[in-house]
Amino acid sequence: MSAAAPIGRRKFLVGLPVLGLAASAFGFGDDARFIPAVAQYKGKWDARVSGLRRLAAELQRRTSVEAVPDARALPLDSPRIFDFPFLYFGGDGTFPPLPQDEVENLRRYLTYGGFLLVDANDGSDGAGFDASFRREMARILPQHPLAPLPSTHVVFKSFFLLDSAPGRYFNKAQLHAVMVGTRAAVVYSQNDLAGAWSRDEGGDFEFEVTPGGEPQRELAFRLGINLCMYALCLDYKDDAVHLPLILKKRR
Amino acid sequence: MNPTSYNAWKLVSLSPLPPWALVALGVALALGVILAGLGLRREPAARRRLVLWSLRILAGLAALALLLEPGIRNLQVARVKNRVAVLVDRSASMNFPVEPNGVTRSRQVSDYLKGPAASLEALKDRFTVEMYGFDPELAPTSPEAIADEPARAGSTNLMGALRALKASDATGSKKLSGVLLFSDGADNTELSQGVGTHARGELRDLGFPVSAFAVGREGLIDLAVENVKVDDFAFVRNSITAEVEIKARGFSGREVPVVLKREGVVVASKSVMLTGDRATATVAFTFTPDQTGRFVYTVSVPVYPGEAVTDNNARSFVLKVIRDRIRVLLVVGRPSWDERFLRGLLKQDANVDLVSFYILRTSSDDTKVLNQDRELSLIPFPMDEIFDTKLSTFDVVIFQNFGYTDPALNINTYEKNLEQYVYNGGAFIEVGGDHAFGEGRTEFPILGQVLPVEPSGQGVNLESFTPRLTPEGQRHPVTALVPGLAANDAAWASLPPLHGLNLVRARPGATVLMEHPFQTVDGKNAPIAALWEYGRGRSLALMVDDSFVWSFTAHRGGTPTRQYDRFWNNALRWLVRDPDLTTLQVTAEPPSVEPGRPVGALVVARKPSYEPAGGATVRVQLVDVESQKPVATQTVTAGPDGVARVSFPPPRPGPYKLLATATLNGQALGEGEDAVAVRAVGPELADASVGTDRLEAIAKASGGRAYRLPLAGLPEVPLLDPPVVEVGRSRDQPLWDRWYSLVTLAVLLGAEWFARRRFGYV
Repeated sequence: MSAAAPIGRRKFLVGLPVLGLAASAFGFGDDARFIPAVAQYKGKWDARVSGLRRLAAELQRRTSVEAVPDARALPLDSPRIFDFPFLYFGGDGTFPPLPQDEVENLRRYLTYGGFLLVDANDGSDGAGFDASFRREMARILPQHPLAPLPSTHVVFKSFFLLDSAPGRYFNKAQLHAVMVGTRAAVVYSQNDLAGAWSRDEGGDFEFEVTPGGEPQRELAFRLGINLCMYALCLDYKDDAVHLPLILKKRR
Repeated sequence: MNPTSYNAWKLVSLSPLPPWALVALGVALALGVILAGLGLRREPAARRRLVLWSLRILAGLAALALLLEPGIRNLQVARVKNRVAVLVDRSASMNFPVEPNGVTRSRQVSDYLKGPAASLEALKDRFTVEMYGFDPELAPTSPEAIADEPARAGSTNLMGALRALKASDATGSKKLSGVLLFSDGADNTELSQGVGTHARGELRDLGFPVSAFAVGREGLIDLAVENVKVDDFAFVRNSITAEVEIKARGFSGREVPVVLKREGVVVASKSVMLTGDRATATVAFTFTPDQTGRFVYTVSVPVYPGEAVTDNNARSFVLKVIRDRIRVLLVVGRPSWDERFLRGLLKQDANVDLVSFYILRTSSDDTKVLNQDRELSLIPFPMDEIFDTKLSTFDVVIFQNFGYTDPALNINTYEKNLEQYVYNGGAFIEVGGDHAFGEGRTEFPILGQVLPVEPSGQGVNLESFTPRLTPEGQRHPVTALVPGLAANDAAWASLPPLHGLNLVRARPGATVLMEHPFQTVDGKNAPIAALWEYGRGRSLALMVDDSFVWSFTAHRGGTPTRQYDRFWNNALRWLVRDPDLTTLQVTAEPPSVEPGRPVGALVVARKPSYEPAGGATVRVQLVDVESQKPVATQTVTAGPDGVARVSFPPPRPGPYKLLATATLNGQALGEGEDAVAVRAVGPELADASVGTDRLEAIAKASGGRAYRLPLAGLPEVPLLDPPVVEVGRSRDQPLWDRWYSLVTLAVLLGAEWFARRRFGYV
């Protein structure tokens, strides 16, 4: 596989609408393409929508995945979340318990194949969003505990080879996950992943990334793309055919 | 009645007193004697004590005699004439010669029973002699019948025959006093492994002795494929072991070749060294079937001059070869939700071995890495390996929205390989998308020939729609989500709508299963799913790229559904020719036929729509595998359920194929085949040896004796004595009512009284 000539940031941004149109011109319906959905709930859910759009654009740019550089906000009790197998659940601060119909809809979503990326935009640990989310997760999938995701998990090699999971912060070295069978149905970052991806209206990155600066932001993008790839390909990179080469690359 | 007619007597009590009264009086008499004895304890003179004690005892005995009123009962008695059963083995092994070029074993038995030496007449004074043959049912026979009618039974069941005799003993008035068993002892049922503990117990409980007469000699030479231990089925491309048991008589020190063939083709051969005059050797053949289906395998050893039986030198068995898992190669143009849910389904299916390759990045993608080798997990697309060297190892190849002109991803070089792979029996699926069916940059001029559809040049339609089943799709197994036409239609209608399709046209001969409800191509509704057979292979085209909505999106209503799983499972099963999904099935009934039995076949014919082909003309050929020539042909008409049965007269032993074809209104319904092994010999003729040890064990356990023919006469066989029963009147003669009885008692009592007075006790 040969690499193409790199495209500059400005050139890319200018070309985005054209890219979207071009994709629609020969692709099938949007359902067949990657569009992140954002979970609406009674809390500060919409702080990172621009980050999701940016991630989708990076996915489109860096991989063969056909993505729509957009993010669709959907209530958690909506049956429409079943049109979007990738759902982002971000928040800043505590939030009240989810209504039972939202809990049940989300449980069904995760059980039958949906992927949930959870992101503590406040970088909290034991309080704020973290405490509320852990409380709700115990209601949504009580039989499936949230547990640290080992660095050997396929998420860290689904496209880029990674050995850490930074976001806007680097408070927690590890991701956490809820496994449904052998599939990580929920992946949880306490480092405000989407904060590293977000742009303001002027097109500049919205937040500083600490402590690693721009290299850390790039790693956050790579982790986001890996998470999308994992949602799309599951454990493809754990297939026997890949392992020898990946192990060799890691040495 | 004439007293001289009494021929027996016995002592009886004639007292009219009831037994309890006699017992009470007897106890009183005993007490009287004992008390008298106690009263003499202080008598110093031993002589006096002896006299008084003796007199009291004698008086007591005399009084007891008066109480019991003894008498003699004269009887007229007779002995019952019990039965002796002569039991003759009528199994086929009794047709073996006693010795090379000698008379048969049955003839030897007949001659012995007919000859004067047999002395069966001598037994008839005391017993009723009955003669039975067992084959394995008991039936009366005679020495003439034994000599003239060939023994036919396909097995020897000695315990069964003895059990049947015991059952007759329980109901008849005449009991069995013994059994004379004439057999070669070659039991191949219950006692095939010898007389075990359980059998010995049962023989002990028969209630009559069995005297065994062994027939035949051990001097025969014979080589036999005694047994083949192998599973009924094997997995294709997986090794399986067949253990062959060779039995040899008179081959000590010789090395014998053993050959395993599959329908005439040598699969393996080995040599086995036979040690000892009665040798049993085991040869293990490990082989790897490379095709699915049912095949006849034959194990054989050479026929040597002078063998008692030559038909037991080969043994055939039928092996069903099935897939262990369906090996699927999934090639994906780019990651998508359609790919993700298909992968999830295939990975969780224990019957599928999935190998997949995804194009994660193309040359136009900018990964923004400095060192691709160290920062990306991507591997080169191993086209040579999967489309050339390993292609034939896959059962199904799936192209999911795959097709590139990029030289690094273009597979035009391998198109011919893929086309030949399908033509020679492989299976291929193309799933739609913007890289499929001629869209975008895809061009597969050669591979495209295997598909049941071709690009229409109309591009794609992006509108949402709910596909509908065609009449063919309503009955086809691939689109059968639930049983019943109406229920199946409703199941499809309940699924979420699809979004967009590749506009293609069906090729002539293709079966369109689903079509667009209103979008047309060349005036016909655009096909959504179509399939056909290409050469010996099969292919399926699905012109959409979001069938995953039948899985994930379908769950939004809250009700679990497995329609997506069923559709893809059905598709894979049809593509790999799952026997349950063929239109013409032929099954040998049974797959292994005993010698002399007819060969049966069950044929199930279905239309291309999978409806029962009632009234179809079914033609079945029985083909000799070794000569590849049909030996018999039958043509029948299938019933309303599409089922037809045929039966061929017993052919000569060997491997055969059943080849079936069917037509309905001039339309061919397909072909089917199965394998059947016609055995040369049953277990009865596989072994010519004589089971002398087995017969001796039977005789010993039942209380009889064992002998070996020929014999000069009938030996003293152990027989139970017949019981004695009264057959006439009886007459009692009292002994007590004589004058001297009372006198004796009076004298004894008087003498004791006199002695007591004399000794100073009174």
